[in-house]
Amino acid sequence: MALIETRGMTKVFRTPLKGPGLAGSVKHLFTRRFTDRVAVANVDLTIEAGEAVAYVGPNGAGKSTTIKMLTGILVPTSGEVHANGVVPHKQRIQNARNIGVVFGQRTQLWWDIPVRESLALLKEIHRIPQDRYEATLQSFNELLELGELLPVIGRRLSLGQRMRADLAAALLHDPKILYLDEPTIGLDISVKDRVRAFIKQLIAERGTTVMLTTHDLGDIEDICRRIVIIDEGRIIYDGDLQAVKDTFARERSMHFQLHHPPADPAAIAARVPGVKLVAGEKPEQLGVHFDRFEVSAADVVAAVMTEADVIDFHIDEPAIEDVIRKVYAGQLDLSAAEA
Amino acid sequence: MVVASRIGRPIVLYARCLAVQIKAVLEYQADFWILMMASVLMNLVGFVFLWTIFSKIPDVDGWTFWQVVVIYALVFVAEGVGSLFFEGTWNLAFLVNRGELDFMLLRPVSPISQVMNCAVGINGLGNLLLGGTLIGLSLSHLHIHWTLGRVALALLLLVSAIATKIGLNLATNASAFWIQSPFSGFAFSMHQLGDLARYPITIYASAVQALITVAVPFAFISFFPAAAVFSKNGWRLGGVELPLRWFGLATPLVAVYCCWMGVFLFRRGLRRYESAGN
Repeated sequence: MALIETRGMTKVFRTPLKGPGLAGSVKHLFTRRFTDRVAVANVDLTIEAGEAVAYVGPNGAGKSTTIKMLTGILVPTSGEVHANGVVPHKQRIQNARNIGVVFGQRTQLWWDIPVRESLALLKEIHRIPQDRYEATLQSFNELLELGELLPVIGRRLSLGQRMRADLAAALLHDPKILYLDEPTIGLDISVKDRVRAFIKQLIAERGTTVMLTTHDLGDIEDICRRIVIIDEGRIIYDGDLQAVKDTFARERSMHFQLHHPPADPAAIAARVPGVKLVAGEKPEQLGVHFDRFEVSAADVVAAVMTEADVIDFHIDEPAIEDVIRKVYAGQLDLSAAEA
Repeated sequence: MVVASRIGRPIVLYARCLAVQIKAVLEYQADFWILMMASVLMNLVGFVFLWTIFSKIPDVDGWTFWQVVVIYALVFVAEGVGSLFFEGTWNLAFLVNRGELDFMLLRPVSPISQVMNCAVGINGLGNLLLGGTLIGLSLSHLHIHWTLGRVALALLLLVSAIATKIGLNLATNASAFWIQSPFSGFAFSMHQLGDLARYPITIYASAVQALITVAVPFAFISFFPAAAVFSKNGWRLGGVELPLRWFGLATPLVAVYCCWMGVFLFRRGLRRYESAGN
């Protein structure tokens, strides 16, 4: 059996159906009506040990709900979940020993005590031997720089500090599986880099299985090889990250820096049919978008150089971002990729 | 040894988690003293009220002043222990509403114990001190013939009375999983109902007596255990003569039932737990 396996995992939330305003709320007191909202529908997921999976989708797609069912916080309405041989919501305590969880928006640290004491308490809770505890903290120190955080009281941590401390807290007991729910949300670039480097190190050195939800596509490209895309509670794509890019990130852009504004942009477009010209910030700049399977970059360069005086240019590599953006906008049918 | 560590370790861990909360409370020293004083003052007012009534009448339904004080003080002791060691139970509504229960479900320790020790009610210390003092004072006036058996019984009943209160707190607060409001309004109104058990319940109408004996057995926190220790008998409820003392002796069973009910409702509720959206 795979490390994490779900079959037909479904979560339905019952929400009260209220009219608008106070009148609606009062009326609801007497005539209670509910509506079922399917947050996650029939999700089949199989994750092998050592995999790093990005779980992506627009807001409200069911990402967090999925994570919460995998971690045992929520009980699925129907379907099965197994993680490392246990049913998370039934064997919570056993499950807790196998997993580490970080929610980017919340902290598991105690609010009123220094980080050092929070970690010490978690050491007791997880029954970690002193020597292993110290070795683990030592190994985290390089990338998370815990030293400076240890004396700080929970509520005084900045967001970046908090995230570093929370990562340490979630991983003290060396869990097999790490769930990260938007771990880099709101962080500045340098902390983001550090968090990503830390997670990569964890995967490389400890073989930790990582499942990550994020809106930051940098996280995905940096950490994960596999991507699962969910929309309206259903998995619409599950597969190799590179394959998605090859199949769907067809659009490429080139950016030109010119001596003078182009005299006749239409002439450029006419030389390479199918391209789209976009004016740059300054009149001397020009962007060209094209489908890399229909037009070659060389043709585009040749066309622009014929019609204008080029100083410099660069190409944007196709990024997963484009795919995701289209999925979010509902413009992409991913079922083609699964075939 | 194994048994000792199986039981001992959770208690040590519980104490450590609670110590964190106490430390947090002590950070706000002024608040600490205010809470202490407020609870002592509030309950002293009740005591003065009692004292005033008894200065006019010799006894209530066969209960003397100092016997009633024991009933009265037992409620404080049970509430005091509840606040001091299990105050987190009252945070359940908030934890459920805000999805803060999540992390407690992700640690290899019973979520119930984590909920219970996630807060500390320093006012409980005031209640406990006052309750203890009043009981001590009463016993010195009551001239009970203390045999070893009676001492053991009194201690057993005291522990059971406290456990009944803790169990009822958990059971009523577990309503948070169904109500989902951030406030423990239902549990609190039940708790208020418990104030009825500060006096000999025979002074109330039969329906009220039945309510706090059967439906929400608050009477087992104070009235019945006291009746057993004082070997009281003769309880007429709706024209039926009931063996009052035996009700008192049943307190341990009621305690087990209430605690079981609390755990049962908590676990049932947990299945409905929805966390909070990210």
